Amino acid sequence: MAEIDTSGGGGGGKHGGKVRGKKLSTKVDLTPMVDLAFLLITFFMLTTSLNKPKAMDLSMPKKDDTKKQDVKESQVLNVLLGKDDVIWYYGTEDGKMTDMKQTTFAGDQGIREVLLKKQKQVEKMHGHDKEYGDKMIVLIKMAEGAKYKDMVDILDEMDITKTRIYAIQDIVPIEQETIDNNGKVKAGEEIERVTR
Amino acid sequence: MPKVKIPRKSTSVDMTAMCDVSFLLLTFFILTSKFKPTEPVAIDLPNSRSEIQVNDAIKISVDKNGKAYINYPSVTFRLKALEKMAEYYKDKYPALVNLTEKQKANFAQVETFGFNAKSNVGDLLNKKPDEISAESTGIPMDSADNQLGDWVMAGRYADVDINHPSARNAIRIAIKGDKNTDVKAVREVIKTLTEKDIHTFNLITTLAGGSSAAGAEKKE
Repeated sequence: MAEIDTSGGGGGGKHGGKVRGKKLSTKVDLTPMVDLAFLLITFFMLTTSLNKPKAMDLSMPKKDDTKKQDVKESQVLNVLLGKDDVIWYYGTEDGKMTDMKQTTFAGDQGIREVLLKKQKQVEKMHGHDKEYGDKMIVLIKMAEGAKYKDMVDILDEMDITKTRIYAIQDIVPIEQETIDNNGKVKAGEEIERVTR
Repeated sequence: MPKVKIPRKSTSVDMTAMCDVSFLLLTFFILTSKFKPTEPVAIDLPNSRSEIQVNDAIKISVDKNGKAYINYPSVTFRLKALEKMAEYYKDKYPALVNLTEKQKANFAQVETFGFNAKSNVGDLLNKKPDEISAESTGIPMDSADNQLGDWVMAGRYADVDINHPSARNAIRIAIKGDKNTDVKAVREVIKTLTEKDIHTFNLITTLAGGSSAAGAEKKE
């Protein structure tokens, strides 16, 4: 530590008489400086936001893209996002809508399980595709009351389950009616097959 | 026998090295930290496991009431975009055409803005940047009066002038939605973008904890 020499100037001391040039130490006490530096470091570390926002890519189809693909209805899974994080899903059979089932985003038992199951089923029926891995097609639709978080979550699930073919579409009135009817399709009503 | 003298050692430690290190760290943190930009509304981002970084982008914020705001990357960019807006859409927004230098400078200081360009913009831009930010009402984006699309296009024109990008590295458009906003508002923004022939864009999220990703790995 830098002590201040209080033992008096040249005059005092043992060497009586002779005035000597005092040798001053060139060392400076750096402790307070280090203290200050660390204080500032702490401040900057705490104020810098650590969770930098990340982003996900999203591509929408071009409107004038009239190229139609042949899609078998067994490949398609319709996923509808509803109110309070509820997810409805259904497939079609012979052009007819099946009853909707309900699930959630909850970890492994939720929509992820549904997607993976469907994936296996589709792969069994249609084989493995070199380009896409499997041929499952997921159509994502937003029902009344869905939150933006749900949309991001379902896109995230697409990424997690490695579903390559999916599209965000507008909901069809009959689908909303079916959700309002608690998933039961009104008898005799048909839904036009939605092709991508 | 001579007495063995134990030399007295000084207890003070040389602080120079420690001081060097701490100042190095300090400089690093000062230079890398970026203060949180002031925003008219707080936006609670949803989580995802995506890890793509977006640096320069035209950010469209959607708050929890479904109102849209726009955020251009820099001051020069904002000035240029305002200029382009006045140049290309002068018939639509006469209020933006004859702004004074002071008004333009005030506009450029506002990082995230959201006002109706058909209202009395001149008066609004006479105010201080903080006040302009506080008085944001959101950019109209209904099909009858889609100002958001025009601002996005103005931003793209500004990008062409400033950065001279090739077709592949044109500025990205990012949507920054509040997780509790109705998805309809976001769909509206997406619709606006696709109408302007922008088909690829980013959704800004925060990184979720590793749990969901780990869960998926286990399943496979």
